[in-house]
Amino acid sequence: MSLLEISNLTLDLPGGARLLHGVSLAVGAGETVGLVGESGSGKSLTARAVIGLAPDRAALGGRIELDGRSVIGASGRDILALRRDSAAMIFQDPRSGINPMRTIGDHMTETLRLCEGLSAAAATARAVELLSAVRLPRPEEHLRQYPHEFSGGMLQRVMIAGALSGSPRLLVCDEPTTALDVTTQAEIVRVLADQRDARGMGMLFITHDLNLAASICDRVVVMRAGRIEEEGPALRVFTRPSADYTARLVATTPTLGPGSGSGSGADERPADVPASDAPRSGGRASALALTASGLSKTYHRHGKPPVRAVVEASFDLEAGAALAVVGESGSGKSTLARMIVGLEPTDGGELAIAGRDRATIPRGRRERLARARSVQMVFQDPYLSLDPRITAGRAIEDALRLHSDLDRASATSRAVDLLEQVGLTAAHAEARPRTLSGGQRQRVAIARALAIEPDVLVLDEATSALDVSVQAQVLDLIARLRRERGLTVLFISHDLAVVRRVCEEVLVMRAGEIVERGGTVRLLEAPSHPYTRLLIDSVPRPRQADAQPAGATVA
Amino acid sequence: MALDRAVAPAVANVAAVSPGRSARVIRRIAGRLGGLALTLFLASLLVFFSRFLVPGDPVSFLLRGRQPSPEAVAQVTEQYGLDLPAWQQYLTWLAGAVQGDFGRSLQYRQDVSAVIADRLPVTLMLVVMAGAIIAVIGISSGIVAALNRGRALDRATLVGLTVLSAIPSFVGSIVLISVFAVQLGWFPTFGSGEGPADMAYHLVLPSIALAIVFVVLVGKVTRSSMVDQLRREHVEVATSRGLRRATVVRRHVVRNALGPILTVSGVLVAGLLVASTIVEAAFGLAGIGSLLVQSVDRLDFPVVQAIVMLIVTAFVVVNAMVDLAEPWIDPRSAAGAGAR
Repeated sequence: MSLLEISNLTLDLPGGARLLHGVSLAVGAGETVGLVGESGSGKSLTARAVIGLAPDRAALGGRIELDGRSVIGASGRDILALRRDSAAMIFQDPRSGINPMRTIGDHMTETLRLCEGLSAAAATARAVELLSAVRLPRPEEHLRQYPHEFSGGMLQRVMIAGALSGSPRLLVCDEPTTALDVTTQAEIVRVLADQRDARGMGMLFITHDLNLAASICDRVVVMRAGRIEEEGPALRVFTRPSADYTARLVATTPTLGPGSGSGSGADERPADVPASDAPRSGGRASALALTASGLSKTYHRHGKPPVRAVVEASFDLEAGAALAVVGESGSGKSTLARMIVGLEPTDGGELAIAGRDRATIPRGRRERLARARSVQMVFQDPYLSLDPRITAGRAIEDALRLHSDLDRASATSRAVDLLEQVGLTAAHAEARPRTLSGGQRQRVAIARALAIEPDVLVLDEATSALDVSVQAQVLDLIARLRRERGLTVLFISHDLAVVRRVCEEVLVMRAGEIVERGGTVRLLEAPSHPYTRLLIDSVPRPRQADAQPAGATVA
Repeated sequence: MALDRAVAPAVANVAAVSPGRSARVIRRIAGRLGGLALTLFLASLLVFFSRFLVPGDPVSFLLRGRQPSPEAVAQVTEQYGLDLPAWQQYLTWLAGAVQGDFGRSLQYRQDVSAVIADRLPVTLMLVVMAGAIIAVIGISSGIVAALNRGRALDRATLVGLTVLSAIPSFVGSIVLISVFAVQLGWFPTFGSGEGPADMAYHLVLPSIALAIVFVVLVGKVTRSSMVDQLRREHVEVATSRGLRRATVVRRHVVRNALGPILTVSGVLVAGLLVASTIVEAAFGLAGIGSLLVQSVDRLDFPVVQAIVMLIVTAFVVVNAMVDLAEPWIDPRSAAGAGAR
């Protein structure tokens, strides 16, 4: 009898939509089972159903047995008991998962005092113990602090400690590291693995990241559209997938190097093609699309020490080339991008795009338009960067008409052209962003940026919010556009594996400084700066048979 | 080890922030008090000099009904200091106002402060009672609606609130009087009674009439703020930890939803004082509101100025209090907007 047994679980919404079509899986004590899938696959729904958090008024069918007790149809009192003693859950974003208006101490002791009836002193002692168990440096002091004083990684430790306060037998982790940097992810994964081993807990680990799942899980369950596609030992599923869908997922998942066993073959590195082809032979190879020297930005905060977001950044970018700027949150990569696009004034240094000085924030209509023509940006979240009331075609048309003398009819036909270039059709021109998928929206955002024919296209985490298969399509699109149009790309990303597919050169930033620059292949294989090495080592890799314990990433 | 290296700077950062906290709080309060004084000063300018924009001359009011001889005019003018330059009149007035002396009422031939002190208890009691009704009924209806979002009870509450909001307070007053005072005879129709208990009894209907519109406002704000908070992930986290629904709502939803409710309540104070003019007139109460209407009518400038300053002061002080309470409700606001 396993710790958790789900058999033939179905979930229907009142409207009649069936979101789960008979899901079955089991988790044993001390075992980690990965639940892998793209958005909408039903993996979170399944996990939430385990602790009785299915959406209001949804009808559940099938059986869920947790620790020998049935979950579906259990009384409110039993559900409470189950959440207190048997299972706990860790959520994706620790920043929104902990009440911002209460102290860390309150979060930690709340259930101990209110559910287990511990005295304040005893609860505090337990909280301190738990916080040290997840390796927070100063537990007593942390208890008096508020969530906004913590980094994301520290908060996720607090979440884990809080979830462990009831000594659960099963820990459900819903994308626990997705909102975190890679180095932080590696630390959190290690803390989770340690606690699992120390307590003999079972773990249900939900993630969209196959590499991560393969690095920490014993077994993996692959879900798609509310059904289970494949199930098996993690390494086997990752190296020799039996379902077509899993194979596609593995193929589209960016990996760090040819060594890590994906069989994606032909589309492995589309980025190399344009680099050696179009621009170099076109005679404008030596033209510099962008030169930055000594670019700096310091934020002065009220009553706090100033933050040097970008320190003396110097680099240049040849026309037709693709340069990646890689770094963790707070490294200054986005500030750098915003200065280049002209959204943020520079404090010092020089910036030239296509030979013209662009170091200042544009003033007046003419300057703003000229600046926009020189550089365009595609933002991370297409849900936020497109106006929900304006159709896709209209968004592109507006950009066209702002920058040229096209009349409405020719702007419309040009907009349709552009949509077709990014793999959409004329029908999409009429669609409002709400009716488009994430990938389609990001295509529209790219088409809108291209409409102006900028000298440089800045992509700021442009694929981070997308599912892997959609991300792969968008990356292919960028590669194709570079090949066809000789596009110059500055690609801002936290993800080294994605960068490898798009860019032939990489800048690594840390705390505002460029610590290393080099060709992508060289840099990934033989990083010279220790920080670059730490970044690379933190990227999760599938665990080889029994080589290393989970999460052991220190080289 | 990689872990220690990455955690260390974050911790150093945390430690650096803490000691400055009390200094920041003091600076906040000082800044707030400075802003308060400035607002009151600007308001006093506006209130005093607007008199010169209004048609009508206080002297002719004072001598109303008589054929004023030039000597009488001159005497009255001098007695009230009306022959001095405007700025000097202002300074005299301001110096007095700071000490609570707003001059003499033209209609009552008494000190303004005495006239107001006479009327103030009624209005204060009315506003406090209405405030209590607004807080209890507004907030609880908002909470009930939010917790039953999308269900019949939510819709019924919303419809009920919308209907109430369409009733102007003078209509509400008349309906209340005719039903509860005239037909049922439960409450008096007129006057403010003698002594605190009797006064409270007399003010039941007026305070309900005054509260109606504001109950709707507070109810709707409470509902939307609660609905917003109920969707937050930390509420789901709290639920997943095995806390009872009531505990989750009390500790993580209501508490977090207080911000917008307090902000609205601050703005509401001025509205209550202004709306009390109508209700006091309808119920024949001798309060500040009815005094204001009457004084405007009779060009009794000193009284009008004093009452308007009183309302402005109440408004500004309450809002300053709301502002100062904000960090207590939301610790992030003390750390600056960047922390949100």
